[in-house]
Amino acid sequence: MSASAGLDAARGARTAAPGEVLVEVRGLEVHFPIKSGIIFDRTVGHVRAVDGVDLTIHRGETYGLVGESGCGKSTLGKAILNLEPPTAGSVIFDGVDIASLKGEDLRKERKRFQMVFQDPMSSLDPRQTVEALLLEGMRAHGLDTDKAATHARLRELMSAVGLPPAGLKKYPHEFSGGQRQRIGIARALSVGPDLIVADEPVSALDVSIQAQVINLLQDLQDELGLTYLVVAHDLAVVRHISDRIGVMYLGGLVEESEAGELYDVPLHPYTRALMSAVPVPDPTVEDSREQILLTGDLPSPANPPTGCRFHTRCPWRQETRCDTERPELRVVEVAGASSGHRVACHFAEQIAAGEIERHEVEAELVSEGFGGPDGPPTPPEAYIAP
Amino acid sequence: MSTQRIQPAARHGEPLLAVRDLRVTFGRRGEEPFRAVDGVSFDVRPGQTVGLVGESGCGKSVTSLAIMGLLPTRGNTVEGSAVFDGEDLLSLSAPQMRDRRGADIAMIFQDPLSSLNPVIQIGRQVTEVMERHQGLSRKEAMPKAADLLERVGIPDPTARLANYPHQLSGGMRQRALIAMALACQPRLLIADEPTTALDVTIQAQILALLKELVVETGTAMVMITHDLGVVAGLCDEVNVLYGGKIVERGDRHTLFARPRHPYTVGLLNSIPRLDAPRGEALSPIPGSVADNLPWDSACAFAPRCPNALDVCVRQTPQWDGDDVVGLRCFNPMAVSR
Amino acid sequence: MTSETPQPPPGRTSYADRRKQRLDALAAASADEEGGVSLILSAWRRLRRNPVFLVGLAITVTFVVLAIIAPWLAPYDPAARPLLDDIRPQSNPVPGPEPGHPLGGDDKGRDLLSRLLVGSQQTLMVGVLATLFGLLGGVTLGTIAGAFAGWTDSLVMRIVDVMLSIPSLLLAFTIAALASSPSQWTLIIAIATVQVPIFARLLRGSMLGQRASDHVLAARSLGVKPHAIVFRHMLPNALGPVIVQATLVLAVAIIDAAALSFLGLGNPDDRRPEWGQMLGAAQPYLGQEPHLAFYPAACIIVVALGFTLMGESLREALDPKTRR
Repeated sequence: MSASAGLDAARGARTAAPGEVLVEVRGLEVHFPIKSGIIFDRTVGHVRAVDGVDLTIHRGETYGLVGESGCGKSTLGKAILNLEPPTAGSVIFDGVDIASLKGEDLRKERKRFQMVFQDPMSSLDPRQTVEALLLEGMRAHGLDTDKAATHARLRELMSAVGLPPAGLKKYPHEFSGGQRQRIGIARALSVGPDLIVADEPVSALDVSIQAQVINLLQDLQDELGLTYLVVAHDLAVVRHISDRIGVMYLGGLVEESEAGELYDVPLHPYTRALMSAVPVPDPTVEDSREQILLTGDLPSPANPPTGCRFHTRCPWRQETRCDTERPELRVVEVAGASSGHRVACHFAEQIAAGEIERHEVEAELVSEGFGGPDGPPTPPEAYIAP
Repeated sequence: MSTQRIQPAARHGEPLLAVRDLRVTFGRRGEEPFRAVDGVSFDVRPGQTVGLVGESGCGKSVTSLAIMGLLPTRGNTVEGSAVFDGEDLLSLSAPQMRDRRGADIAMIFQDPLSSLNPVIQIGRQVTEVMERHQGLSRKEAMPKAADLLERVGIPDPTARLANYPHQLSGGMRQRALIAMALACQPRLLIADEPTTALDVTIQAQILALLKELVVETGTAMVMITHDLGVVAGLCDEVNVLYGGKIVERGDRHTLFARPRHPYTVGLLNSIPRLDAPRGEALSPIPGSVADNLPWDSACAFAPRCPNALDVCVRQTPQWDGDDVVGLRCFNPMAVSR
Repeated sequence: MTSETPQPPPGRTSYADRRKQRLDALAAASADEEGGVSLILSAWRRLRRNPVFLVGLAITVTFVVLAIIAPWLAPYDPAARPLLDDIRPQSNPVPGPEPGHPLGGDDKGRDLLSRLLVGSQQTLMVGVLATLFGLLGGVTLGTIAGAFAGWTDSLVMRIVDVMLSIPSLLLAFTIAALASSPSQWTLIIAIATVQVPIFARLLRGSMLGQRASDHVLAARSLGVKPHAIVFRHMLPNALGPVIVQATLVLAVAIIDAAALSFLGLGNPDDRRPEWGQMLGAAQPYLGQEPHLAFYPAACIIVVALGFTLMGESLREALDPKTRR
């Protein structure tokens, strides 16, 4: 048995070739009940963390998911792996619906899709050596039968993520942040997955270390033909690492496009605002750039606005449709936009053509939390356009 | 808020705050002392925004806490001077410093939730500062507090005065904190990672607000951040810190267009830019701060430096420059970026 | 440890060499190290330097050693009554110190020092066993509640809540009183029962914290079997506060044991001494001969202090915030 026999064996089961659809997410919803009550818990509402998402990830590509905190991107990532049980919808992974799997069936399937976490310290059990951490997954999936091969595999994993083999005997707290994240990546690789969901893989790291980890992820993808779903709030990082990007707002995708095109031809008003808000380390660009400042805050996902979720903050909002009809993701005919570019905006074409003027938006107050001294938040008042 | 850009005007003249050779050493008994800030000097002039940039552990936050007299009373020694308006802040007694804090010098922290008292209404927290420093009664201060909240862009300010911090969103809390900091019209504002805990669209709002306030009121600002993008748009002068020392200084246009120190260059090359062409691999700085050499006998950055010479590991590089521009490096990068 | 070795520009080989050597040295050094430093090891290293812990440890070890060698150390049989002749019911009910009897005797003419020494056996045994049984029961219930969550958790926790709602000494009192004939085992079971809900609640809370933690999520996403997640990841990481609590509870158990014995709910046979029971027996003479109560009380307090000091410093050492 060769050093990478475990990995090869896992690969043997693969049927899809590069470029084929690996993951197909349809109508995925994750709703968290809001409970209240003194003796008996009563469900008083739902936080719609993920509210109907369709997306497709092809084998060998990196799909980036961006959005701000509270948009449901992390929950979506976990729901795709069924770490957060979806309320509705399906996740077809290489022909198998992960969302409907349970118990032992799901556990066995897990070796094909792995996760890399944001905080490398809290996601590594502090009481286990690196060796025990890496062995655990292999043992759980019966990949550790040959002792010599397992030993070789551990060393191979360490060198793959750029750590010395001597580190196997150490504990997570003896490593720096960047090295810990490498251990987390090695652990995900240990069972030979096809898909890795990386939830904010670099946001807990220092700037100079971020690039090391980003490059490592890319190298590993080239070497092992991995498919990534990268969830992050940093648009520049996501744009750098991804082939395609989905932009999320309040539990739903508002735009999906090839990574370069998203920056060149952003179609959704929210994407535009998001892009314009990212600071660029270049004073000349910063001084000349036109920013679209959004007013107000993200509405509560427990009580999302009617119609288009973004209409309460949208500078291009129209009198009709926006507050009554939830826009579907659709392909639009706009110069520069390819056929894979989808946007959930009723007026995307008109905005791109400059037919609709941008206007000031009165900020609405959004209170956070539920059941504070004032009770549950009141629904936002009907919006009156100026 | 509008989308127009405001050019912060750099005014010259006597510095409002002059920090000289600031050293902060942490050391508990039985432990090796750790020098977090190692001889930091910089000036802040009225109306000027000075940035302190660096990664975690570079001493940027400790610098601000030392100036504000907010370090724990035990377990550390602070040397050097921080002359604010002719008076060395480091030599002031604790009660004298308390009079200065909030009145002449104010600070904004990273985490707006933990910086606000969760059981006291926003209005009272804002008026408290005015009651303390301006001797106003709460009745007099309340309308002023409402004005302040309005000025920092909090909608429906009068009603918000009665809210508790948890009832506001993260962005609104940071606005409330800024309102508190501005309550007594301080001449110097120290902002320690004020937008790190916020989302980008909210960050953009807060940065625009800070910029506007600095221009309107002529307040000097020290901006502490790890985000070079934030610095590029906001600061007149940028100081890059590494291992407790300033390694490079310059006005933002020069520094970003022609960075000289290999660390500054490394930082700029290791972050992906939203507006750069895609497909180019990032060039990270190798290693981590754990590889640092002691400043006493070497350049701390040398083990991670692509430009390092023999001398870099034998001698401490001296500051070559003044209070406007400068560099601490034996073998800086060629000016060709 | 530098993970990427960058290629330094040509022409500066000397420094590049030095860097390479440094890296090799680092790699060699890390290869030499036999394993890493586990959390327990690093906690122990901190504990070893903590004077508070050392004092607690010294007290505890002293008393445990004394208890073990007490039968050989005690000058007299604790049941024998060598001073019986000195007792004068009217003028001198309790014999005072005299040669061979440094602490004097008790009201029945038995040597007080011997009784104190041998009494430590009973007291410590009751304290330790009660804590151990309490720990065992509490950890079992807490693990069940924390591992299964859901309605199992609700059921276990409601039972625990009921137990917690009864004042602990009263509960112990009731259990001890229900027993047909009091003995030290009644004491142990009574005190252990009181500790069970405390441990269960504590462990359940920290198990639920672990259940929500990233590293448990990571293990789940890795496909680790559920029982392995509970016993390898959740339980070991959740035990810390429970262990600390156990050392603190030891002190309380000893005091409780003394209290119940004092009330006559422990071993009725006063030929086998026990500090609490001695304290109870000293009651009628509290006015005239306070030393009779003082010695056992002081022993109880010092032992309890020893365990408390150990527990507190253990808590400090295991606190992740103070680590390194």
